[in-house]
This record gives sequence, C-alpha cells and structure tokens, in this order.
Amino acid sequence: MSVHPTDDLAAFSIGALDAPEAHRVEAHLVSCASCRSEVASFAEVAWGIAELAPQAAPGAALRARVVKQGSPRTVPEVSAAPRASLLDGLRRIFDLRVPLAVPMALVLLLAVSLAGLGSARADANAYARAVAGVADGNVVTLAATPGSEARGSLVIPASGEPYLILKLRAPPAGKTWAAWVMRGQQPLAAGISGDRSGVVTLVLSQPLRPGDSVAVTLEDAGGVPAPRGAVVLQGRT
Amino acid sequence: MEPPDVVPTAKTIDEELLERIAAGDSGALGELYDTYGRIVFAVIYRMLASPEAAEEVVQNVFHAVWRRASGYQRERGAVRTWLLSISRNAAIDWRRTRGKRLEREVELDAAAALRGDSSVEETVLLTLRAERVRDAVRTLPADQRDVLALAFWGGLTQTEIAERTGTPLGTVKSRVRLGMEKLRERLKEAS
Repeated sequence: MSVHPTDDLAAFSIGALDAPEAHRVEAHLVSCASCRSEVASFAEVAWGIAELAPQAAPGAALRARVVKQGSPRTVPEVSAAPRASLLDGLRRIFDLRVPLAVPMALVLLLAVSLAGLGSARADANAYARAVAGVADGNVVTLAATPGSEARGSLVIPASGEPYLILKLRAPPAGKTWAAWVMRGQQPLAAGISGDRSGVVTLVLSQPLRPGDSVAVTLEDAGGVPAPRGAVVLQGRT
Repeated sequence: MEPPDVVPTAKTIDEELLERIAAGDSGALGELYDTYGRIVFAVIYRMLASPEAAEEVVQNVFHAVWRRASGYQRERGAVRTWLLSISRNAAIDWRRTRGKRLEREVELDAAAALRGDSSVEETVLLTLRAERVRDAVRTLPADQRDVLALAFWGGLTQTEIAERTGTPLGTVKSRVRLGMEKLRERLKEAS
C-alpha cells in the first residue's frame, strides 16, 4: 500500500490536480478503499456545487440526438466468421464497448470478457474483429515480447482519446496488466486492466504526443508509479 | 489497517439505469438524460458560456456514458457524481482544444456562482439542497471560495490557479483542501 494521498483527494475530486498527480491518485485508489470512500464523499460536495449552476435548459432536440447515439454501429463482416449466434454476440459486445470520444482524467477501463467463449481461437478471432472494427483513425500494431502470447494494437481515433485493444492471458494472482505512455525517459501510468483476460479495450488515461511510446507490463495489482515488471507489448506512435 | 470496502447495498435506480445502458438499452440512456440532462447542460453551459458548445459537449458526455457505462465503479461515488466528472472533464477538454477564446470571459466571471451574486440568485435552480450549499459556500473565506470557483467552473488545475493568480502553489492547494473540507462538514451539519 502506498502512502495515502490524503491532501490531494479533495482537489482530485474536482479535477484540480495536474495529470501526473491525478494518475498517482488513480493508481492508489485502485487498492485503497478508505481513499475511494473519501473521494466519493468529496464528489458529493462537487455535486452540491454543480447544483449552483444557473438554471439553463438545452434545446428540445438534444434528447433525440443523445438517444440516437445509443444505436449500435455496424461492425464489418469477416471471412472465417464464427457461427451466427457467436458472431452476433461478438458484434453486440464490440458495438457497445469500443470507445470513441472520451475526456481526460479518470482511468477508464472497458473490458470485454470472452471467458464464456473459452478458447484462444475465440480470443484471436475477437481480437481481429475488434481491430477490424475500428471505424476511423490510425492503428499501430504493438510488438510482442518473444515468447509472449499477447497481442495488442494502439488505436488513435480521429477524435477522442487513444485506446488499446489487447489480447492478454489472465495475469497471475496479485498482478495486473498495466499500460504506460513513455515520454522520452519518463513513464506515465496510462491505465490497468485488472485481472481480466481475453480481449480487453483500455482507454489510455494519458494523452499521446508525437514520438511517445506505449508499453504494457505486468505489475503488482496495487498499482505502481513506474513500470517495474516485464514488458509484454510495446510500440511507438 | 484498511477499512473494509464499501458494504454492498441495493442497487440504486441510477445504477440500474447504467446497467441497462451497458447492456445496450438506448431507452435507458434517454432516461438518464431525462434525469440529469438539464443539470449536466447547466454545468457545462456555466463553464463554456456558449449554448451551442454546451449542447455539443452534452452530446459527447452521453456518448461517453453509452460507451463507458460498464466501467462505472460504485465505490468511487454515485452515478450522478461519475456523470458530473465526465461532464466537467468534457467541458475542460472542449475549452482547451476549441474554446480558448472563451477562457478569459469565463474565468473572469468564474467566482460569481460561488459568491451568491444577486444575478445568479435570480436564475439559479432554487432547490433546498442548492440553498444549503449556497449557505455553506457563503461561510467560506473569500480566498477559499475563489480557488474553488476557478477550479470548478474555470476548469483550472491548482498549478494553473497558482500561476494565474500569482499565489504560491502550496497556498492554493491548502485553500482547495480546506474549502472542500469545510463545505463537506457544513453540508453534513445542514443535512
């Protein structure tokens, strides 16, 4: 357990920390229930402040535009398609969870659990489908460390935050997969995958700049301020 | 010793909505909008000072909710505070990427909503809770009120506040922390 960032929790709850401080707090919160509780109570104060916003109403048409966004988007068909019911299931999963425009700040994890499908083949198909389903932006294939079965792609959408599509085995007990943005020699924590396996979509909690590298390492589940474990995937923007 | 994690409690209506959204129910997204769309818009409008920009950002916010509903963690706070966090971040992102020209205008006026100015009084949503919050805010020292306003409505980090106000960073941090702690305490007392 790292030292409690007690003095930073109030600022964290209203987004007033600089990015590196915010990510340190994020990493701590993963394993600290008391600090999560403290953040939750400050978040209620923030809600109270929000209620002081002068009354204003959006146009009536906005609701329809919002709800329309909930319509699933189409995922392209692939050849070697799984049977229809499986295909439908995968399509629905990826329709729902591949991220588009997302703001900064919180560590965001959207996991696609394919445990029910079981096999590595299913994971490989799902991974290929997820990459093929990227609607826009650049896709950078991450290099896997020899011997690793991991696969990964960095997606840099035309709008919204970059994210990783990862095919990973379940981490050992007490461990987690951690994503990093490497800016020169400086590692910036960019999110963790928890203990999930299969195909995982992980939105980077760090913005990317030209020349940045991205890496995925195996770390202690409590979160670490800098990578210490083995690198399994890496790539450059 | 760490206290135990939050004791599991029954799901709230909002949490059930979010589960339905995560499962692909666009109707639930509409219901969430019906519940919180107005205050989300009001907060973003307060931060951006442009109704067109605010609508665009609100749309992005609910798009993000649709995509990220399964990532919500109840132990980090209620659904509404999660939504608020997404909303404020989206507004801050918008300002930093597209709304530079609005920044000065908004910042100059940023403290008004925390000071209880009469112009704000006339237009604010007069709920009992809002009144309690406003009363609590009024009891804060002006320097704490101002840094909270710059952070909350201006979307500035503590470092940015220190730079722009010429105040030592440590002082800004103390004011944010003390201001939030006092507000929390006074809101608890009031409830």
